[in-house]
Amino acid sequence: MTSERGEAAAVPGLTRRADAGRDEVPDGGAARHGGKAPPSAASTRSPVTQRAWLPWAVGGLVLAACFGLQSQLYAGQERTVATVFMFVGLAQAWNLIGGYTGYACFGQVVFFGLGGYTTAALMAHAHVSFWLALPASGLLAAIWAALIGLPLLPLKGHYFAVATLGVAEGTREVVTNLPSLTGGGAGISIPTVGADATTGYLGNDGFYVLFLLLAAVSVLVVAIVSASKLGFALRAINQDEDAAASLGVHTTRTKVSVFALSGFLTGLLGAAYGFQQVTIFPARLFDVNFTVLMVIMVIIGGSGTVVGPVIGAAFLQFVSEYLRQHFTEAHPFILGAIVIVAVILLPQGVVSYAGSAWRNRDFSLLDNIRKYRL
Amino acid sequence: MLALLASGCGSKGERAQTGSPDSLVLGASMSLTGSLAREGLLTKEGYDLCQATVNAKGGVPIGDRKYRLDIRYQDDTSKPDTAGTLVDQFNDQGVKLILGPYGSATTEAAAAVVERNHQVMADSAGADDKIFEKGYTRTFAVLSPATRYAASIVKAIAELAQPRPKRIAFLSADDGFSKTVTAGGTAEAKAQGMEVVATEYFPNGASDVSASLTKVKSKQPDVIIGSVHLVEGVAIIKQAKELGITPAGGFGETVAPPTPDFVQTLGPIAENVLGSTQWTPQTSGEDDWFGTAADYVTAFKTKFGRVPEYHNAEATAACLTLVLGAQQAGTTDPDKIRDAVAGLNAASFFGPITFDPTGKNVAKPMAVIQIQHGKPVTVWPKSDAEAPLIWPGLS
Amino acid sequence: MSQFFQATIYGLLQGGLLALIAAGFSLVWGVMNVVNLAHGAFVLVGAYLAWELSRVGVDPFLGMLVAALALFAAGYAIQRLLVNLVVNAPVFITLLLTFGLELLLVNGLILLFSADYRSIRTSYASRSLVLAGDVRVPVGRLLAFAVAIGITLALVALVRRTRTGLAIMATGMDRGAARLMGIRARHVYALTFGIGAAIAGAAGAMVGTVDTFSPADAGRFTLFSFVVAVLGGLGNMYGALLGGLVLGLVEAWGSQYLPGTLVNAVAFAVLVAVLIVRPSGLIGRAHYAARVEV
Repeated sequence: MTSERGEAAAVPGLTRRADAGRDEVPDGGAARHGGKAPPSAASTRSPVTQRAWLPWAVGGLVLAACFGLQSQLYAGQERTVATVFMFVGLAQAWNLIGGYTGYACFGQVVFFGLGGYTTAALMAHAHVSFWLALPASGLLAAIWAALIGLPLLPLKGHYFAVATLGVAEGTREVVTNLPSLTGGGAGISIPTVGADATTGYLGNDGFYVLFLLLAAVSVLVVAIVSASKLGFALRAINQDEDAAASLGVHTTRTKVSVFALSGFLTGLLGAAYGFQQVTIFPARLFDVNFTVLMVIMVIIGGSGTVVGPVIGAAFLQFVSEYLRQHFTEAHPFILGAIVIVAVILLPQGVVSYAGSAWRNRDFSLLDNIRKYRL
Repeated sequence: MLALLASGCGSKGERAQTGSPDSLVLGASMSLTGSLAREGLLTKEGYDLCQATVNAKGGVPIGDRKYRLDIRYQDDTSKPDTAGTLVDQFNDQGVKLILGPYGSATTEAAAAVVERNHQVMADSAGADDKIFEKGYTRTFAVLSPATRYAASIVKAIAELAQPRPKRIAFLSADDGFSKTVTAGGTAEAKAQGMEVVATEYFPNGASDVSASLTKVKSKQPDVIIGSVHLVEGVAIIKQAKELGITPAGGFGETVAPPTPDFVQTLGPIAENVLGSTQWTPQTSGEDDWFGTAADYVTAFKTKFGRVPEYHNAEATAACLTLVLGAQQAGTTDPDKIRDAVAGLNAASFFGPITFDPTGKNVAKPMAVIQIQHGKPVTVWPKSDAEAPLIWPGLS
Repeated sequence: MSQFFQATIYGLLQGGLLALIAAGFSLVWGVMNVVNLAHGAFVLVGAYLAWELSRVGVDPFLGMLVAALALFAAGYAIQRLLVNLVVNAPVFITLLLTFGLELLLVNGLILLFSADYRSIRTSYASRSLVLAGDVRVPVGRLLAFAVAIGITLALVALVRRTRTGLAIMATGMDRGAARLMGIRARHVYALTFGIGAAIAGAAGAMVGTVDTFSPADAGRFTLFSFVVAVLGGLGNMYGALLGGLVLGLVEAWGSQYLPGTLVNAVAFAVLVAVLIVRPSGLIGRAHYAARVEV
């Protein structure tokens, strides 16, 4: 029995294990719960029970560790780590639409900016509490995602990317041109002191926890989606949309819902970010660099996986922070070189590489180059 | 894993020493890269000169000891949120005295953090009045506020121009700083009895302002004032010539004309353009560290090999403010330094340094220059003027 | 009415320049399916090269040729040695590679030249021809426009009439079949990238003559190249020209008749509208969307 399973494990995904509740889709490395090592051939426990709780336990441990970490950090470092959490959340949100579904949205920052501005406008003009503005911002971003998703999601590949980029830039311009609502180019400030302040400023400690929770929620959502029928549908759409449609997947409905979900998560993070910054400007909150960073983090980490974006976000943020502190003038230059090297050596992302390298016991990075070069 | 994570992140947690006990540490979050890199570097040069000058004279005398000035730089990549994080990180390291970043957006972000952390900031390049309408008590700006930028040009024209122009048009970038500048300028124009025939806005950083110029052309102003930065300032003059827009009184712009790039880029068509500036080598005032404005020019030339711009001077002045504050307080305690700075009433190479309760420097006037024979020449205030105003600007 | 004509003239001239900036980007994307995020940086390198040459007295229109040659060589090398390594990888890998390249180039330029704004001054660029109704046509922009048209026509001729051009088009349509026909795909790809970079360099020289530039402009150039390339249809040189002109006109009319700050919103609205209604671009051909790759 065990050797059979061992053989089955050695041929990834091509045999259907009757006792595994879900298929592993043969796309060369999309991990299910977290790219954990496959059960060893000598294990006598059934793979399902061994695998099912392990990733969740690890996730819970990591979460607890991050909470505990807070007591070890000073305020400035806390902000840096809070930013890492924010990018983990953002990367996971992009992962939903870009990684799993394969629709690379280049305008993701529009949800971020809308979230931030909704919160700012609600708190500054309507004196709404932040805890009401937060879900409202996510909701508004989700609605916008659904609205633009309907005409844009039929586009494929690069066209979808450019169209969403156009929408993002256009939305920024519109926001800049509504000064009575958004302050325009001069920015808008959330009142944090005085009679107008509805919610006290959370401070570095508060925002650390807030971003950590939002990041945890994002990872959780992606993990649940990944393991659910929705995740199956997304992967099917990614690989061959027409075949998926012929299998009975409602492609339009699925795509729009996951786009809205992705927008919702991004909007929440934008709201938190807006509150943290207090004064926000359209140029910053709709900055295309946010989108580019999200894409890089997901791809370097491993798109279409749960753990990949977390690793990618943490790695990239820490590396760029370290470089910025120690090479004050040349740090973007060095970051560019690192990105190039990372992309050449690990084009499928860290998690997928780790997964297939472990499975095939082949750790050669140069093989990647041989595989992907012209 | 917990320990691994904790130690991995915690290794940055070693509280960095705040320098040796004989040094006064100032933290500066600068735009060393990004869209404001050029002005950020100019600001850094100003801070560097201050540090070199003060240390060459033995350091800051605080109480009965002399402290070396030690300025620590970090790059905020021209982004306001990074600037805020950096000020927090400085606070972690025990650095309570902060030198301001370049630009109003980054300064605003830094000021919010400074207020929360009970640090003290000397603002060298954030002029937007809005920074000072938030009730902050720990940020002090040595430079004149944004409302004076265009208003000074208008005032200079009103005082010196014969015949006085009647119709004035404003072209403005749409960022917060420029909008405040324009508001101040239009108010001053109306107060001086001129008619504001048009106020056109264009996106910040636009290098093509032809549309706004064309709209203004039909209104036939006597003078066109630009509330701009370098790129738009150059674009206005260049494209006005291309489009054949020739207001009799010529042009006046903020920020751009005093910079060497302006004349270099435009060449002869920059002649007679007016500009407002925070400082010129003719500014009156003298202090013990830098002498007069002319002495400052000499010192800068010796160190950097070229003539200083006003961005350099305002940075040095901000650093000087903290130095004077520490001197007067007689201690390195940030709260006492804050109080000393708030009560400062000092003359300096940059002009008078005095702060009103909101932290603005209201004693220092802006100066107005005019490009004459390819060089910026001070024409206003009359007491500092090098040469008379050439009017009308376009003959 | 003369306001309208003035805006139209300006829009067309600016559009020609935009078309030149975007032509190389569109070519590379269309033929190789590589989205070159460093394209704006190439434009800037061209501008700086022409600026350096102008400081020793070389006219920018000559400097343009030098910049084009230098960038051709650099582009060829970059493709052959760097981008080739990831051509078969998932499509967004090349995107990241060029993003890293852009960081390298732009910050390299800042380190070399500082972030100051530069402009190439010529004696003739600021003069204007005067048409009826006091409508002005600036000479510098007119020359840049002429160069843009010239290069576009030259490119079309290259692609349709020379063996090299046909090889490029063939490789773009079906790389596997092209290789079977004896076309050296690696070399052709490198040629294409080099040509794209060369045009970008020439565009940079033109930009330097009519506008001010600094390393911070790289992103803006790439963004506009995106818009123009998609507007006109990927890989289509006439399309790039048309896309550029359309964008230029839309921006000029938009900023004339709407508040000046809305102009970019209008441009992007046009882009999105075109994509929804006609995704292959105004005159693009659908076969680039269904590419077979080996």
